[in-house]
Amino acid sequence: MKPIVRLRGGSFTYPGAPAPALHGLDLELRRGEVTAVTGPIGAGATTLLLVAAGFAPRLTGGTLAGERESLAVRPGIVFATPWTQLTGLCHTVRAEVAFGPASHGRPREQVLAVADRVMGQAQVDHLADRDPHTLSGGELQRVIIASALALEPDLLVLDDPAAELDPAAADALYALLREVAEAGAAVLVATPDVERAARVATRALRLEQGRVVKDGPPSEVLA
Amino acid sequence: MSAVAAAAGFPVRWEGVRFGYTGDDVLHDVSLAIGAGESVALVGPNGAGKTTLTRMLMGLVRPRVGRASVGDWDAATQRPHVMARRVGYAFQHADQQLFARTVADDVAFGPQRLGIGTDQVSAVLQELGLSDVAGRHPYDLPAPLRKLVSLAGVFAMRPGVLVLDEPTTGFDRDLRARVVGALRRRTEAGATIIAISHDLAFVRAVAAREVVLEQGRVVADRRVVG
Repeated sequence: MKPIVRLRGGSFTYPGAPAPALHGLDLELRRGEVTAVTGPIGAGATTLLLVAAGFAPRLTGGTLAGERESLAVRPGIVFATPWTQLTGLCHTVRAEVAFGPASHGRPREQVLAVADRVMGQAQVDHLADRDPHTLSGGELQRVIIASALALEPDLLVLDDPAAELDPAAADALYALLREVAEAGAAVLVATPDVERAARVATRALRLEQGRVVKDGPPSEVLA
Repeated sequence: MSAVAAAAGFPVRWEGVRFGYTGDDVLHDVSLAIGAGESVALVGPNGAGKTTLTRMLMGLVRPRVGRASVGDWDAATQRPHVMARRVGYAFQHADQQLFARTVADDVAFGPQRLGIGTDQVSAVLQELGLSDVAGRHPYDLPAPLRKLVSLAGVFAMRPGVLVLDEPTTGFDRDLRARVVGALRRRTEAGATIIAISHDLAFVRAVAAREVVLEQGRVVADRRVVG
């Protein structure tokens, strides 16, 4: 199967930065796979997610050298700072989660059906009528994950998505990532939680100083 | 390392506290007392009410029923900038409290506003391993380092009560160790520490007591076994 995203010799430099944040990156992401990215803080994992999803340099500015090919038509992203992803326009969680598919012009009944389904998957259905601005950090993180799933992404990238979750919710989230991949998406997740990542990832990368220093089975890379 | 100053702590108390944002209460008749100089972890599932409970100590949330106090101050009767003389609060989302153009300026903001001088700023930056990024813009740093900067800003105010909401989110072992060391030094100086955390290694390292909240109620209150 052809990769949904392919990078060859990808190097990315942020605007005004003296040196690239990523160097000579070769990467292929495929549907059905969960790829875990790990490494020290500042190694470039967040930048890798942005480049893989096509958000950098399109939204960040900067320069991408090398080749990037993408077949992804509905990329979804969950930032490490989920509170920055609220629309600010919705007074209920249900409306927040429905915002993405609604803005794509889908029929109302489809939008509501998708919203209800992904709220169940992300375990926020009991919060459907709450104002998102009154949620706890962990609840909000799950709402943002539901909002990303509502776009029915073919490529889902997530930056430390369990950072604010309690242990049971974190376990459920990683299991959900596997389900999302098995349903046909490519999943790329950056995380310091190598134990949970090892349970669900089909492949893993380790970054150091903007370079991939390990690429292979999770049992080897995340050990 | 230059000397790090920390204030002696205050006792903290919640008495029969009830609160709801809209509709149903998220805190139900919570009573809890923390002694001056105690180090306590607040744990429990997402949405249990941990953050809401601690925000009362800053006067950011006021009980619908009951009372939250820090020493002899009723937190509901004081403005947040007054409570900041006793309570240093590190928010769960660090970006909510970073706004200066350099790390050093951001860390200095609190002590300047409190009028206690900024002689602690460089010591705190050094203590947390942030001296090398003191001149950087906070938003040029990765999220975990921004979190560390927000903690430095709280430490620099030398509060008697430290409230830290998920202080190790996204941290690796090195960053966690820096915060653990800083908190132990403040515990030794007598500060009261209240930490909300899902990070069990962090809880074991800093807390002597663990209070478990579920669905807005205290369901367990026990010693931490290290």
